[in-house]
Amino acid sequence: MSALLLLLLAPLFTGSLKWLKARLQNRRGPDPFYDYKNLFKLWRKAWIRPQGSSPLFLLAPVASLLGVGLAAAFLPVLPGVSFAGDFLVLVYLLNLGRFFQVLAALDTGSAFGGQGSYRESLVSVLAEPGTVLALGAAGLASGSLSLAAFTPLSQENALVYTLALVALSLALLAEGARLPVDDPTTHLELTMIHEAQLLDHSGPLLALYELSAGMKLLVYAGLIALLLPFGPLSFPAVLLLAWLALGYLETYGVRLRYLRLPDLMSYNTLSGILAVLGVVLRFRI
Amino acid sequence: MNPLIETALILLGLQSLLALLRPPAIGFLPLSLGGSGLLLLLAGLGAWLTGTWGTPLDASAGFYVALLGALYLGVGPYLREYLVHHEPHRARLEAFLLPLFAAAMVGVLLSPPGYTFLFLWEGMALLGYLLIALEGPNGLVGSRAFFLASRLSGAGLFLALILLVRKEPLVGGLGHLVWAGLVLGFGTKAALFPLHAWLPKAHPVAMSPLSALLSGGMVKLGLYGLYRAQDWVGSPPQWVGWLLVGLGLTGAVYALARGLAEEDYKGVLAYSSVENLNLLLAALGAYFLLPNPLFLLAFFFHQAAHALFKGLLFLGSGTLPVRELSRLGGLHRLLPRTATWSFLAALTAAGLPPLAGFLFEWYLYQGFLAAPQGTGAHSLLVLGVGAVALVGALGAVSYVRLFGLTFLGQPRSPQAGDAHEMGIFGQLGMGVLAGLLLGLSLFPAALLRPLEPPLYPVLPLFLALVGLGGGLVYLLSRKPQRAYDTWDCGFNQPGLMGSALTPEMQPHALGYSEQLLRLFPFVELEAHLSREGMLSPPRVRLEVSDWLLALEARLARGYTAFAHRVQHLQSGSLHLYLLLQFLALLFVLGVVWR
Repeated sequence: MSALLLLLLAPLFTGSLKWLKARLQNRRGPDPFYDYKNLFKLWRKAWIRPQGSSPLFLLAPVASLLGVGLAAAFLPVLPGVSFAGDFLVLVYLLNLGRFFQVLAALDTGSAFGGQGSYRESLVSVLAEPGTVLALGAAGLASGSLSLAAFTPLSQENALVYTLALVALSLALLAEGARLPVDDPTTHLELTMIHEAQLLDHSGPLLALYELSAGMKLLVYAGLIALLLPFGPLSFPAVLLLAWLALGYLETYGVRLRYLRLPDLMSYNTLSGILAVLGVVLRFRI
Repeated sequence: MNPLIETALILLGLQSLLALLRPPAIGFLPLSLGGSGLLLLLAGLGAWLTGTWGTPLDASAGFYVALLGALYLGVGPYLREYLVHHEPHRARLEAFLLPLFAAAMVGVLLSPPGYTFLFLWEGMALLGYLLIALEGPNGLVGSRAFFLASRLSGAGLFLALILLVRKEPLVGGLGHLVWAGLVLGFGTKAALFPLHAWLPKAHPVAMSPLSALLSGGMVKLGLYGLYRAQDWVGSPPQWVGWLLVGLGLTGAVYALARGLAEEDYKGVLAYSSVENLNLLLAALGAYFLLPNPLFLLAFFFHQAAHALFKGLLFLGSGTLPVRELSRLGGLHRLLPRTATWSFLAALTAAGLPPLAGFLFEWYLYQGFLAAPQGTGAHSLLVLGVGAVALVGALGAVSYVRLFGLTFLGQPRSPQAGDAHEMGIFGQLGMGVLAGLLLGLSLFPAALLRPLEPPLYPVLPLFLALVGLGGGLVYLLSRKPQRAYDTWDCGFNQPGLMGSALTPEMQPHALGYSEQLLRLFPFVELEAHLSREGMLSPPRVRLEVSDWLLALEARLARGYTAFAHRVQHLQSGSLHLYLLLQFLALLFVLGVVWR
């Protein structure tokens, strides 16, 4: 259920974000529904198979979308499957999608694909421990390891949840390939991380990749929403907040130098560790 | 004794005998080694699933017998094809020694602690050494490292088992001494972190089917020993648990980072084995500290999964034309089946759901997350979650690098364009392991039933992935498509054919991990620039330097210098010898005076 919701919402989110950014930069910008039209256009086109590529080239966008889509199915935005330890399955399904994407980037033998591949690998290594620690801490503070049973932010767990929220927000930027980690609008192959892996994918394959990138962003937004105390309004609130924040950040912010990424992401890992310690040692404000 | 196991051992013995009497005798390997594997698998699984089944074989020994059986079942047919390419006299020796090695491993599992155990343990180590030593001068460093490690392991076990067989209660410090001996003995075999140094030297040089047996089977016996020691000695003291958890988690991260700086295909696999073993040791150590069944589930399940996927990967490595990652590439075209088997194994090894590797991490995470229910310092075990997450992310990167650089892209050297797929027996061997791996992944409850495991919905997830994925792939493959050159920034001229990209433009094996390794200061990559002449382009050479290897080299130098010093005692001077004898006499008198 939530997978379908996110599938439908993702193009709206990314498309209207482009519109918002254009407005902030005093441009007219594309229609907020542009991404739906773009995906539909891409889906109808022919696709190009680079010479010497393996079946993985075709499998990767499919696996990437399915990984994110099935991960979204475990998100209790709408009622769905739920069991103890489901957040781990969610995180690792996201990994499944990325594994195929990073591998397919090596498939064509292109220089940029390889570059994108190891850059994305570094980002994933930096972001994953913090994410798992933050979600683990939230689970411990709620007394249940299932996402549906996470208790919202309250006086009791304020410190732990704040730290977890910091970690998850940084993970959203890194995994969603957004500024300051990666610039989604860059046209220069040398500076790309996420886009460099998609250079050789075209038509419907590119459509699947773009859809999965948008959905991944929403999955992280959904995870953040689970920790907030506004009930069913949490998810829309987080989406609105992320929409505004990303629009602002990508208009007025600059991209971080790639080799400085560990400095930024160390805050992610550190807040994850502190959040877990906060539960164990019972930190209170 | 169990008739199935008896038959299996007789089969292995007959194969050895046959290799002695009738020179090649390779043709019978699928029947003897593979057949004994099937029998062992059945016998072991029976014992594991039903509790006890015959005296020497209880549930936990049965598990390991089944694990070895599964490996033999795959390696048997493969070996038949592999040994054909060896010179006849060497193949004969290998066909003679390898079944004995296989039988010794089973024997270790069947024997109670004591002299038989020690004898079989040492026999297994010796046979393993001889098999690696057959590689000749190329394998010298590896076989010597293996031999040294076996000595160290034997020393620890002699100490522990001799104290154990006295049948006297272990009072005071003796219990600690026994456990120290066991950790040294079994830990060395199971590549516990600072004692692992032999494994990445020995396993890559062994022939591929032997590497599969070593990495998949033999090292697991170290884990078996540590687990089984609870029955022999009683529950371990706290420090054993903390030691295993601490060294295990450190070692797992270290081995992955070091593996990223490795250029040898089998070297990467060996470091991955070190990582998996250390993680398993950490799970066992955590079980010693907090007897949570989740740790036990993780411990047992991953040993089976690791044996299968590592066996499969090592068997696959036997097909590669060269072993250096920087000379491989694009092999999926020449070796489509090996690529498929290796891809399945790599997916499992990277810990991706719904395959077996993920379930291990799932149990491990939940085990560590249950730690705050413990008391005092035990609740700090929860930080293991972070270490496991780091290991999971790094493991995925390591297998992307391994598979991507070997099987995808363009060939990086002429040799990579000259590879031949294994024939029917080789494919059969790999196919058996792949089938078992897939079965284990999809039906984990079949193996874990005695432990009553909690599970996530594995099969629905798999069906959803395969069903939806298959549908999408079908839709995409029906869309119009055409082949074209890879994007090269528009450098290819309109009139010319082909892309301007050359194989050298692909990521280099060490270049791929260079930026990642900046996170880990204990492994360093140094770039050296050199230029042959004014007009030739500069060449970049990357060199790996590693703190632990530097320490090892220093230790070796110190030991040599010490040995040199001590040699003065053997100078041939009669006076010195008399003085030494006198001092020894005084010492003995002093000891017995009481």
